[in-house]
Amino acid sequence: MKVSFFPGCSLEGTAREYGESIDAISRFLGIKFEELPDWSCCGASSAHCLNEFLSLSLPARNLLLAEKFHQDLVTPCAACFSRLKAAEKALQQESNKAKVAPLFRGEIRVLHLLDFFSRKEMLQMVEAQIKNPLSGLKILPYYGCLLVRPPQITEVSNWENPQTLDNLISVMGGEIISWSYKTECCGGSLLLTNPDIARQLIKRILNMARQTEAECIVTACPLCQANLDTRQEEISNEENGSYNIPVFYFTELLGLAFGLKEAKKWFRRHLIDPRPLLKEKSLL
Amino acid sequence: MDEKVKTQQNLPSPVGAVLVIGGGVGGIQAALDLANSGFKVYVVEEESAIGGKMAQLDKTFPTNDCSMCIISPKLVEVGRHLNIEVLSYAEVVRLEGEPGNFSVQIKQKPRFIELDRCTGCGDCAKVCPVEVPNAFDENLSRRKAAYKRYPQAIPNAFAIEKRGISPCKANCPAGIHVQGYIALIKQKKFKEALNLIRKNNPLPSICGRVCTHPCETACSRSKVDDPIAIMHLKRFVSDWEYSQKELEVPRVETKREERVAIIGAGPAGLSAAYYLALEGYSVTIFESSSEPGGMLYWGIPEYRLPRAILKKDIEFIKQLGVEIRTNTPIGEQFSLEDLLAAGFKAIFLGVGAQKSTRLNIEGENLAGVIPGIDYLKAINSGKELPLGNRVAVIGGGNVAIDVVRTAIRKGTKEVFILYRRRREEMPALPEEIREAEEEGVKIHYLVAPKKIIGKEGKVVGLECLRMELGEPDESGRPRPVPIAGSEFILEVDSVIPAIGQSIDLSCLSQGKDWNISRRGTLVVDPITYATNIPGIFAGGDMVSGPATVVEAIGAGREAAISIARYLQGMDLHEGREKKLPVAEITPQEIKKHPRYHPPKISVTERIKNFQEVQQGFSEEEAILEASRCLNCGICSECLQCVDACLAKAINHTMTEKYLNLKVGSVIIAPGFSLTDPILRAEYGYGCYPNVITSLEFERILSASGPFQGHICRPSDHAAPKRIAWIQCVGSRDQSINKGYCSSVCCMYATKEAIIAREHDPEISATIFYMDIRAHGKGFDQYYERAQKDYKIRFIRCQVSKVIEHPKSKNLIITYVDENGKIVEEEFDLVVLSVGMSPPGNFRILSRTLDIKLTPYGFCQTDPLNPMETSRPGVYVCGAFQSPKDIPETVSQASGAAALASEVISLSRGQLVTKKELPPEQNVTGVEPRIGVFICHCGINIGGIVNVPAVKEYVKTLPQVVYVDENLYTCSQDTQAKIKEIIREYRLNRVVVASCSPRTHEPLFQETIRDAGLNKYLFEMANIRDQCSWVHMDKKEEATEKAKALVRMAIAKVSLTEPLVEQELSINKRALVVGGGAAGMVAALGLADQGFEVVLVEKENYLGGNLRNLYYTINGDNVQEFLNYLIKRIQTHPLIQIILNGVIVDAGGFKGNFKTGIMSGPGMAYRKVEHGVTIIATGGEEYKPKEYFYGEDPRIMTQQELEKKIGKKEIDPKNFQEIVMIQCVGSRVPERPYCSRVCCSSAIKNALKIKEINPSANIYIIYRDIRTYGFLEDYYTQARKAGVIFIRYDLQNKPEVSIEKEGLRVSVFDPSLRETLIINPNLLILSTGIIPRENEELATLMKLPRTPENFFLEAHMKLRPVDFATEGIFLCGLAHSPKPLTESLAQAKAAVSRACTILAHDTIMVGGIVAQVEKEKCSACLTCVRVCPYNVPFINDEGVAQIDVALCQGCGSCAAECPGKAIQLQHFKDAQIIVKTSALFKEKVA
Repeated sequence: MKVSFFPGCSLEGTAREYGESIDAISRFLGIKFEELPDWSCCGASSAHCLNEFLSLSLPARNLLLAEKFHQDLVTPCAACFSRLKAAEKALQQESNKAKVAPLFRGEIRVLHLLDFFSRKEMLQMVEAQIKNPLSGLKILPYYGCLLVRPPQITEVSNWENPQTLDNLISVMGGEIISWSYKTECCGGSLLLTNPDIARQLIKRILNMARQTEAECIVTACPLCQANLDTRQEEISNEENGSYNIPVFYFTELLGLAFGLKEAKKWFRRHLIDPRPLLKEKSLL
Repeated sequence: MDEKVKTQQNLPSPVGAVLVIGGGVGGIQAALDLANSGFKVYVVEEESAIGGKMAQLDKTFPTNDCSMCIISPKLVEVGRHLNIEVLSYAEVVRLEGEPGNFSVQIKQKPRFIELDRCTGCGDCAKVCPVEVPNAFDENLSRRKAAYKRYPQAIPNAFAIEKRGISPCKANCPAGIHVQGYIALIKQKKFKEALNLIRKNNPLPSICGRVCTHPCETACSRSKVDDPIAIMHLKRFVSDWEYSQKELEVPRVETKREERVAIIGAGPAGLSAAYYLALEGYSVTIFESSSEPGGMLYWGIPEYRLPRAILKKDIEFIKQLGVEIRTNTPIGEQFSLEDLLAAGFKAIFLGVGAQKSTRLNIEGENLAGVIPGIDYLKAINSGKELPLGNRVAVIGGGNVAIDVVRTAIRKGTKEVFILYRRRREEMPALPEEIREAEEEGVKIHYLVAPKKIIGKEGKVVGLECLRMELGEPDESGRPRPVPIAGSEFILEVDSVIPAIGQSIDLSCLSQGKDWNISRRGTLVVDPITYATNIPGIFAGGDMVSGPATVVEAIGAGREAAISIARYLQGMDLHEGREKKLPVAEITPQEIKKHPRYHPPKISVTERIKNFQEVQQGFSEEEAILEASRCLNCGICSECLQCVDACLAKAINHTMTEKYLNLKVGSVIIAPGFSLTDPILRAEYGYGCYPNVITSLEFERILSASGPFQGHICRPSDHAAPKRIAWIQCVGSRDQSINKGYCSSVCCMYATKEAIIAREHDPEISATIFYMDIRAHGKGFDQYYERAQKDYKIRFIRCQVSKVIEHPKSKNLIITYVDENGKIVEEEFDLVVLSVGMSPPGNFRILSRTLDIKLTPYGFCQTDPLNPMETSRPGVYVCGAFQSPKDIPETVSQASGAAALASEVISLSRGQLVTKKELPPEQNVTGVEPRIGVFICHCGINIGGIVNVPAVKEYVKTLPQVVYVDENLYTCSQDTQAKIKEIIREYRLNRVVVASCSPRTHEPLFQETIRDAGLNKYLFEMANIRDQCSWVHMDKKEEATEKAKALVRMAIAKVSLTEPLVEQELSINKRALVVGGGAAGMVAALGLADQGFEVVLVEKENYLGGNLRNLYYTINGDNVQEFLNYLIKRIQTHPLIQIILNGVIVDAGGFKGNFKTGIMSGPGMAYRKVEHGVTIIATGGEEYKPKEYFYGEDPRIMTQQELEKKIGKKEIDPKNFQEIVMIQCVGSRVPERPYCSRVCCSSAIKNALKIKEINPSANIYIIYRDIRTYGFLEDYYTQARKAGVIFIRYDLQNKPEVSIEKEGLRVSVFDPSLRETLIINPNLLILSTGIIPRENEELATLMKLPRTPENFFLEAHMKLRPVDFATEGIFLCGLAHSPKPLTESLAQAKAAVSRACTILAHDTIMVGGIVAQVEKEKCSACLTCVRVCPYNVPFINDEGVAQIDVALCQGCGSCAAECPGKAIQLQHFKDAQIIVKTSALFKEKVA
């Protein structure tokens, strides 16, 4: 199985373990994610606030590149997904297309990596390969906002209570803990521009997580993971409390459930070390 | 309309029957009106009972009446009405024809309980093992598969719900009631479970071990996790039986003479023998070998099927008298002919497939080549057959596996299986393969033998070929293709081919033309198993080719049924095809629960011997495993109800029925469905357990609901203290195509909050709303009370999200308060006020009936003809027309009934049934001869109360000449018996001791009346509801209480007297008071039905308030409509118009009123005699004193504006700034009500102005916008058009001043939090509606009024157009403010209600009425004051007089009369006293 792959910038930086785990599980499953040659910035976090034309033409360039390969374009980042998908939708209108990318034929579709893994046949493929089921691991599925909203763009039908991550957790044998903040905003790109607001939002989510019986959070977005993982120490100090809940990428858990040896390496990169938890659960 | 009437007269006479679709309150009202007006009515209801949503409600606003209490009498009336036929579980599938003559086809689902036999006792539900969510309780409780929708349901009968055949049963070749026996195991009813299995399979111990269990393959549970361990459960119950001391062999009901011969004692033969023996035939099995069991004995190794177990099942069959003759082969020596000659009347052949199929390769005759079957037979007969050290078994079926595992147990060192396909294609059971591998068997896949190599005549090796898979062959599996040059040699000592068996047909008689297939099997009829030779049947492997045990058993049973039919000369085929579809369930929301695995003996242990490998379940495990069953079919067909129902009402063979009816017109009243709260997923419905819908909350509040009326929340059943309601969930929401207002939610939420606070004053109630829409009669006052008296918090805001606290499951709502502050508040329970959507089947319905729908999916109607659908002759009422409350539904229902009957009025009375009754016996002065019938009610009474003891006791009581006990006193045969006994014993009084007079008294009264007794010579003792049901644990005391209750009833009945009802003729003329829209439409409606009408109008012109209206909100021309009405009414031959008429005196009663009218310029007096009166005196716009009205030409009311625009007196183009102020003089202490129309009038006029002058700035200053129903679309349209809406409240009214430069309006805008100043060119005051002057009329006719002087109907919900005084009706603005369309509906409703009287020639009056003893009356006026119907008056003689025609028999006057001058018939003091003294009488020893 082959698809085009748009890694986005964070996979090279803060989300290296995301990239590595994607790499490992796709190799394991025999899926070929072919990196889009010469891909460029999706324009996330600033372009769409500043310049409409730019906000469309940046992703449109990538879409045009992808169309050459006649393969759907998969991206692991929720922000990239949002921008690429928004462009895909916008270019369906002739006026936009004429202005931004007249050569775009609109034959390919943008998919988030999570959606890719949530297709029925993928779930079956994953289920057949589970060697190390995550039994007894209590997991909070956390989608954040851009994966599901706005539904006109993401094409998600149950955006208030999305199920794709839940289904994957269930297939991996983990225990889903339901909560109200599945799709709450983590503050996303505000962390650099307005850290006070972002910290408030992160704190709300972590507070709610602490009140559940969950032992970890799983995400499908480099921004969400970074925000929730990296700020816990800071918030602990502020609040005089202890925030130490591991935050995983779903691909890391897939690797773990497949019994991949290299999984250990990824967890080293987390600020909240998940290894004690995984050892306690005899998963590592 | 004129044309319509004319063309009708040329047609053949219409059908005097009406079809009513939907049995909710609308359908019920329409049906009753029509049936009481002389028409036959069919009510089609999709549920098992009528009652609709109203039956589910707890209370109704604004009177807080119990919903069930008020609808229940209507249900009973429908149920007992001679001319209403309720078709429950039914739907219309076709409608053809024209108004007056429609053909309808109706599909009725099977109920599986015979309606005319079911007594509603509920014994079936008691034994039913299947529980499903109770939809009537909105799934908050559970009910059985055998159920009654609710206790008061009509028809008063149970039903059994089936979704179809459960997949396990459908896939079982023997058709075993799998779901049924699993349900019984769950309930620990092991014996019953086994009996149920034996209905289809006489070999449960065997099938519990060696069945291929296709049931498990089909099990729906496998879509979720693993299938139910059905085979192990079967084994569990059979092992359980084995552990019991004695086997309970079924009784053979009738012995029959005929003898049947069965050839072969294998599973097919044994099964056929068992079922034939059960039928009473004498059965002999002829078995060629030395042991019965066939392949079960010879083919299956003991480690799978211990011989003792096999013997047990065979013994069970033998105990029924089946003879098994072993060592008796049938063939040339002893042929089938010989059997027939010996007197056997029928033969079943079940000889199986005994021959091994040959490999057909070189070397097959060498020593050491042993066919698999032969090997197993040898070992199973105790012979030793050494195979050497290395054995190759060829084949992939169960025989191959049995051989290898046997060989291992016999000491063979190395065993291979050679199979030419892959493991996936192996036909052997996966668990068998797994166990064989565990025991050390090696399987070579994709390998086939080519040649057996011998040395000295003995096997030494096997040459094999490797295979690859090609295209699928005829078996559907990929065809193995040899790979050239892949030969290799295996060294082996023995080769065992196990590639299949073939059939030995040597038992068949020569010379007969047997039908043999190409495969060498015997051909039979696939359903009856009859061969082509009459009297000879066959089944099992010899027919199917080698197959499974359970297939053979199934075939044997079916053949047995055929043989019995053959011998009894019945049709072999009839009714034997499968009827129900296979039940499918969607495996969502099902909790995973892994399958229980019973233990096995360890590998090391088991390969040493032939001990049974598989162990059974423990009792606990069996029950837990059985509990995993998903009850796919709903009813499990366990057949427990069949045994439990003593009335023999259960019929599991019922099928879908199609009925064809002829009707003259159709009314659709399908109601609504709740809008799915999932559409607003942000509120967490379905995720958070404590977020519930309003209807769920109704059920929680209801005393008969899931928690008996205790308010508790779903998550932990704790009593919630903080409850929030969120309004407009799925209403007023364009984003989900629900742009309309659901009209009722504001009020029901307020009511629920009030009732919740009444249940538990500690509850704090908060309602989050957008506008409070309290637009009905008395609603605003109710809303005010909710705030002031009940301290309910109303918070205006749209809640964006509900968040759940993970631990407490409490819910957090964030909102912006009145001061603009963001508040986070926690609640224990959140109720979503979900809106109304079209009924679930609306699309199918509209297609079937060919009616048009609105874009929202409701029924399309025209505001001036609100009950007419797009198809002539088909009328609509209720929420399907537009979301609405109960009274509007009831009005429309009556209105639709009027329209439906208008079409067929020529056929009035043609299809109705009237009862002919025998003359009544004269009992005056005759000594009472009392008959007492005591009911067991199945086990409902009999199980607690010692009925025979009560009977013996009653015999000792005076005047009792007959006592009997009945299983069900209400059953039809008992009714006949009671009539018989009344005659035989010359009874003149009857007592029934049974359930409740609420449901059954009329039935028994009818019975004694049929026997010639006056119906009042009857008394009922309630020994069920008030005795056995409430004293279940105290049987003795209950028996004593039952005796006392019966003693009291006997005492009372001895003093009862026959009451005679008087017959009075009816004057078929109607008087309509008021010549406005409502009055004119009512008059025309009655006249079109053929009744004479006198219409009195106070003014010298017709039209009333309609004269002030010019256009409706949807653009209709009102003046055109008015002119049309006036023209029609003036030319109608049956209508007399009296203008300038004033009513000056009034008297009489229903059917015979006399009213005096002064009329004309000269005020001439005339007396009008009439049978009914319709009050339509109307209302008018309030002329305000507020806001300088009348002082400035730029200030006017909405009606004045409309008139000026309509008459083109002003041009909206000239006005740029227009302010409209709402609620001027409305919703204030002087006039505390909402006038319902002003919001939409303002929007109507604003839109009109915007249409002419789009640039005009229009400001509507409002308190709550009350555009209910589809009017909401106009509110949306107005906002889109740029009309500006500014809210105010009573504390911050807008201020108006007239300045030099013009008008000045200042108003505080709460959204901007600033005061706005507007200088309008026009100031329009939206004033309410006040009733016309009506005090004199009210006094003359004794008609009650509200404090606001609108007339007061008999009942706010269910009798909206009736006065408490019978024969007088009301409609239009006289009743309350309402828009034209609702006035028109009410006018039609009044017509329909009036027809229920005018349709009859006479009425019966009297019966249970109050009577005054003149001598005792001191004219104190107590009765005059206390009577709720204003009946008593002081007559010319100076004493109280009570008209029998008017008295309702409530007894208030009798109870209050200080002089004891009034007695209520049938409840006279003496009768009550004798009853009470009977209670305190000494118990008779």
